[in-house]
Amino acid sequence: MILFLLRRFVTMALTLLAISALVFIVIKLPPGDYLSNQIEELRAQGDAAAAAKAEFLRHQYGLDLPIWQQYLVWVGAMPGPNGWAGLLQGDWGWSFEYQRPVNEVVNRALALTILVNIVVVIFVHIVSIPIALYSATRQYSLGDTLVTLFGYLGLATPNFLLALVLLYYLNRWFGISIGGLMDPRFTDASMSMEKMSSIMSHLIVPVVVIGLSGTAAMIRRMRANLLDELQKPYTVTARAKSVPPMRALIKYPFRMALNPFVADIGNLLPHLVSGSVLVSLVLSLPTVGPILLQALKMQDQFLAGFILMFVAVLTVVGMLISDLLLAALDPRIRIGGQA
Amino acid sequence: MITRRTLLTASLLPFLATAVPAYAAEFRLREAPMLAERVTKGTLPPLNARLPKSMLIVSPIAGKELGIYGGEMRTLAVRARDLRYLSANGYTRLLGYNENLELVPDLIESLETDGINFTFTLRDGHRWSNGEPFTTEDFRYWWEDVANNKELAPAGPPDIMLVDGKAPRVAFIDERRVRFSWEKPNPRLLPALAAPRPLQIYAPSAYLKKFHAKYTDRKALDAQAARAKLRSWATLHNRLDDPFEQGNRDMPTLGPWVNTTEQPATRFIFERNPYYHRVDWSGQQLPYIDKLVIDLSAAGLFAAKANAGDVDLLSRGLSMSDVPVLKQGEKDHGYKTLLWPEARGSAYALYPNLTTNDPEWRTLNRDVRFRRALSLGIDRRIVNNSLLFGLGIESNNTVLPESALYQERFRTLYAQHNVAEANRLLDEIGLTRRDSLGYRLLPDGRTAEIIVEVDGEAADIVDALQLIAEFWTDIGIKLFVKPQERTILRQRAYAGQTIMVAAAGLDNAIPTAEMPPNELAPIRQDHYSWPKWGQFVETQGKSGERPDIPEALDLVRLYREWAATANGEEQKRIWMRMLSIYVEQQFTIGTVTGQLQPIVVARAMKNVPERAIFSWEPTSLMGIYRLDQFFYGR
Repeated sequence: MILFLLRRFVTMALTLLAISALVFIVIKLPPGDYLSNQIEELRAQGDAAAAAKAEFLRHQYGLDLPIWQQYLVWVGAMPGPNGWAGLLQGDWGWSFEYQRPVNEVVNRALALTILVNIVVVIFVHIVSIPIALYSATRQYSLGDTLVTLFGYLGLATPNFLLALVLLYYLNRWFGISIGGLMDPRFTDASMSMEKMSSIMSHLIVPVVVIGLSGTAAMIRRMRANLLDELQKPYTVTARAKSVPPMRALIKYPFRMALNPFVADIGNLLPHLVSGSVLVSLVLSLPTVGPILLQALKMQDQFLAGFILMFVAVLTVVGMLISDLLLAALDPRIRIGGQA
Repeated sequence: MITRRTLLTASLLPFLATAVPAYAAEFRLREAPMLAERVTKGTLPPLNARLPKSMLIVSPIAGKELGIYGGEMRTLAVRARDLRYLSANGYTRLLGYNENLELVPDLIESLETDGINFTFTLRDGHRWSNGEPFTTEDFRYWWEDVANNKELAPAGPPDIMLVDGKAPRVAFIDERRVRFSWEKPNPRLLPALAAPRPLQIYAPSAYLKKFHAKYTDRKALDAQAARAKLRSWATLHNRLDDPFEQGNRDMPTLGPWVNTTEQPATRFIFERNPYYHRVDWSGQQLPYIDKLVIDLSAAGLFAAKANAGDVDLLSRGLSMSDVPVLKQGEKDHGYKTLLWPEARGSAYALYPNLTTNDPEWRTLNRDVRFRRALSLGIDRRIVNNSLLFGLGIESNNTVLPESALYQERFRTLYAQHNVAEANRLLDEIGLTRRDSLGYRLLPDGRTAEIIVEVDGEAADIVDALQLIAEFWTDIGIKLFVKPQERTILRQRAYAGQTIMVAAAGLDNAIPTAEMPPNELAPIRQDHYSWPKWGQFVETQGKSGERPDIPEALDLVRLYREWAATANGEEQKRIWMRMLSIYVEQQFTIGTVTGQLQPIVVARAMKNVPERAIFSWEPTSLMGIYRLDQFFYGR
């Protein structure tokens, strides 16, 4: 077990190293850098005078170094203009766009992002599992067909479109302000019942929109898994021994059908942070998604790099957790591969 | 030499002190209700102690009425950086343009100048928003301790402060008077001070000295900078000294509203500046509106939010395509949508690159007959009807009729649709051979296919190009549209790889003769018609190519003459000459102008012009229409 963990940690570190190099290269691939982009933008607005100030910053942030040196400085394997201050030293770098350290920018958004996405995950599970149970046990019934139809609709609707439509009508009918995670007047107010309820009412659209396709996908997978298990001899045996139908369903086939979901935790974890970029953007949610997109567009390299690395770490850690969990849950699975 | 601009005194001050017009009986200083409580409590001095003795009393002009104190104005921005547009909209300058684009004193009481010496006189008792005095010490601090400090400004004072590379002599005569003297005229100075992003020649010294190594212990400052993850005290100082960006809540300002929100935030609140120097003619201190509320929101939601009645004033971020959505919500949500014409020389202009690398195209682009033929080959009426609903003006890329420098000839020369004449010119050049599809062939046998590169985000320009491509088949020229990422487009242009670029025309198409004609001459590399000539001039000959056609040399010479004179008549003559060369030569090919900017305004908001020109320069977005005088009617 310990050997297994050690081996996993080493491969994790190597994977992350490879990812960090890739991330940095991809961010640096387009021509120019943040400052040249900004100069262009200012020029496009007829604001050429601002360009001089931006130029002055290039040297200060080491953007005039060769790319490989910038990379090593960022990772923390080489002293930069600020001395040793890279990811390895726990310094996440500087955001040009926000003019402040990356951790300050990300911290604020992170809490809300995780809130939104946890609510989404709960929504997806609460809605999809009962429906899947229903449609698997009553395969090809009218109910199953309807659920399947709606499921496909949920999968096929572009969710940003749905977001806009929902926003418009919720505003029309219920007066919920458009976009954001709360009514603007609560933005800087301290937490209160009213603020909570404002947040809750603003969560409806994002949760429904983000969760819809996930729900549909989950229903389909759960249904398929269950159908497999329902054919198996042990289910037949349980029924033959006249175990009550609900118990016969939940106790054996349902638990077997859950395995793929545990394996999915590896994907779920990074999704909590980076999921729903497009929807967040359309709905103007103060989450990590829009920050990441903007950072990539503006080549705000340390900010974008950090978010991508953070997601990578979550993925790798999530994989490890789901492997360990699977081994613990299902005695048929052995760790380490030695038979 | 004394010119007509000799004494730019506060012409807006006709009835201060002794000279009192008829309605002056009503003039009585009245406190804003929002501040009254603080005054009674004694935490804020009364109004007469806060205002400069020579306050600026705005005079009644057409379209502006006396307002009522109070209310908040909600607007939107995409990100915190966009707070800078508030600096443009707030438009508080040493001197600024009025609605007729005349330069008038604003922060200063008066300016005395002969074009070489500039003496600014400040208002007696003028104060920053935190109550500290605004004096020539603030100018001295900027000039000696910031602009000429090697650590804060490694490149030295801003370019506009140098004439032929020489810095001015600066005399700080007393607390209220400062004089800048050059050896030669510096006509660029005043327009730069009045620009949307102004040249800042003063800084709040009392506040900034706390962060300057000359006045505060360097070690302590460096430690403070290190805590904020900044390199040195200089970086910290430069970051705090950010008057245009409005991001630093602690820095005092002279503008109408003061930021009260600490970054980062998604909602910014600006409150009235209790020390603002402008007063209306009944004695109410401006601004009328107490608070600005700026919410950050995705650009895609701007129209939807306006439609839902969530904004009281919004211009940037809305475009023509949003108008149906905006109109639809007007009735239910108490706002109106104004359509203001933009001050662009042309909505869609073509820039043949005279310094392109391809020798065949270089020869053609440099042939004035070729450029004229391309211009004659465009049916501007159809472009206007299909893209601007027929509301635009069919025109060369030149000044608008609203400009004092406008002539009918500038608009129409070579701008009629005349296929026969265009074909005659092209035949005359020698492009007589055609391929099987009827397109002309270049002398080396290639098809005459012009690759027009364009910023991919400018969808309307791409549409216009598709129309132009149709027109040009009639004159045997093929047009291929190549959308590009903006940065890449610029770099290709600078390197001479573009043959032709399509972009918007002149930024400022309502200039006065006092504004520098720098868009008309090959002096900057960011002009797509002559990037390499621009490089040559910008770098004093270190890179690029020397301008080598007589008309381009004329433009450079004329620009230099403009920059060396303080004589208004002379400047006007130079402008006219340059505009004339620019359209005769068709250095850029304009199509239509007069696209409209939608502006959403709460219906109760008064003193907003129904229709006015919208631009970055010179109107400073809505700045010259004075947001501080907008108010909510009963």
